[in-house]
Amino acid sequence: MAEVVEKKGKMWVTMGIVRSGKTYCLIEETLFLIEIGALHLLDENGICLSLKEVYEKLSDESGCYWELFEIYRHLKSLGYIVGRHGIPWSVKGLKIKTGTCSLQGSEERNELLEMEPKDTSIIIDLFDNMQINEVSPAFDVYLPNSRFRKSSPGDPSFFLYLSRGNPPSKVEIEALERKQGVVPLKFCHVENGRVSFFSFDRVELAVLP
Amino acid sequence: MKARWKGKGSEAKAIADPMSKIVSQLQSSLIHSNTHGLLSSCSVLVEVDAQLADLLNRACFGRPRITAEKDNEWFQLDMEEAFYLCFSLKCLKVVGEDGCIKSNEELWEYMKSKKAVFPVFYMAYSHLRHKNWVVRPGLQYGVDFVAYRHHPALVHSEYAVLVLSEGDNDLNGRLRVWSDIHGTVRLCGSVAKTLLIVNVNNNSHGAISPSCLEHYTVEEQTITRWNPEQCREDQAVVRI
Repeated sequence: MAEVVEKKGKMWVTMGIVRSGKTYCLIEETLFLIEIGALHLLDENGICLSLKEVYEKLSDESGCYWELFEIYRHLKSLGYIVGRHGIPWSVKGLKIKTGTCSLQGSEERNELLEMEPKDTSIIIDLFDNMQINEVSPAFDVYLPNSRFRKSSPGDPSFFLYLSRGNPPSKVEIEALERKQGVVPLKFCHVENGRVSFFSFDRVELAVLP
Repeated sequence: MKARWKGKGSEAKAIADPMSKIVSQLQSSLIHSNTHGLLSSCSVLVEVDAQLADLLNRACFGRPRITAEKDNEWFQLDMEEAFYLCFSLKCLKVVGEDGCIKSNEELWEYMKSKKAVFPVFYMAYSHLRHKNWVVRPGLQYGVDFVAYRHHPALVHSEYAVLVLSEGDNDLNGRLRVWSDIHGTVRLCGSVAKTLLIVNVNNNSHGAISPSCLEHYTVEEQTITRWNPEQCREDQAVVRI
């Protein structure tokens, strides 16, 4: 995760999480912005990291999280608003449960600049809490919306599960639907850089006359 | 997907002539004529007069066999169709090569021996037929059945149906891998059909006899591909 030191432009309405008046970028947001040249990432000496150096840093930690970067970039490029499931956009009026995310640790670091070696440990913690499996959704996705506000984002249009390996079975889908209630679910599969989204919906064909 | 009627007046025709009524007339007519079918490999052959031939065509059971015969027509029924007429509608009797009428249990055993998935396929077939959908083979689309809202001459089929059964004993073996989901959904889309999964659960009742079917449950599910490019409130890509 990176702390945003200086920001320009409207993208910050729908990116980054706010804690104590500061904005932090999650790993997928950081990489997305660096790739499109919209963010400079500084190390502990204030030196800007090249894209190559960023990729190198990520290849140690990120492992199989590349799929999440692909999904984030795909949807973000199309204008969707994508949030990490389980991580609130802002905590105004919210109580953070310890263990939901490891941001508590970051608040102690007042001089936090981007991508210090100890920052990578924050990234790992976030990955752990992310539970990237089929038990929890990976992302909350909102349709492009110029009125989006982090302080009250409302319900997402859908929760997005990343499916690796084999497609979810009927039993698995039912279990997930029961957990999530009202918000629809979609499943995402990433292979060869291709991101595909599927809905599995219970239906009942009408009895015809 | 909504019903796609073929040409003007098709929907009106369908409303005026409900499938349930056509099937009911077929049923009465078959009973009245005491029609017997001949079991032959994976089909049942029936010889019918013009009136019955018309009803079979309108209800979409079987395929006519073009022959030189003048008075009667021959129809070839698939196993699910034949068993539906025998077991569910109780309007057809089927005779084996020995000339004896087969009981439902004998037919069931025979059809299972020809097609291991027959019990779950039959459950799916009869489930949809009971709701008055027209169900035809779907092999040419790489699926198990296609379902029409009425006669195929009047309407395009809306659903491409795959039959899956719960758990590891699923003999149909479909949609176990993502490439199959991709391929099947894409194919369905290109022929303007929605992929419908009919999940059959035998609730541990096995398939020893047709009476097991009473304990089977069916759930329907669609699989659709969501295209993020086509689904945005504002049409323009938000500039970042």
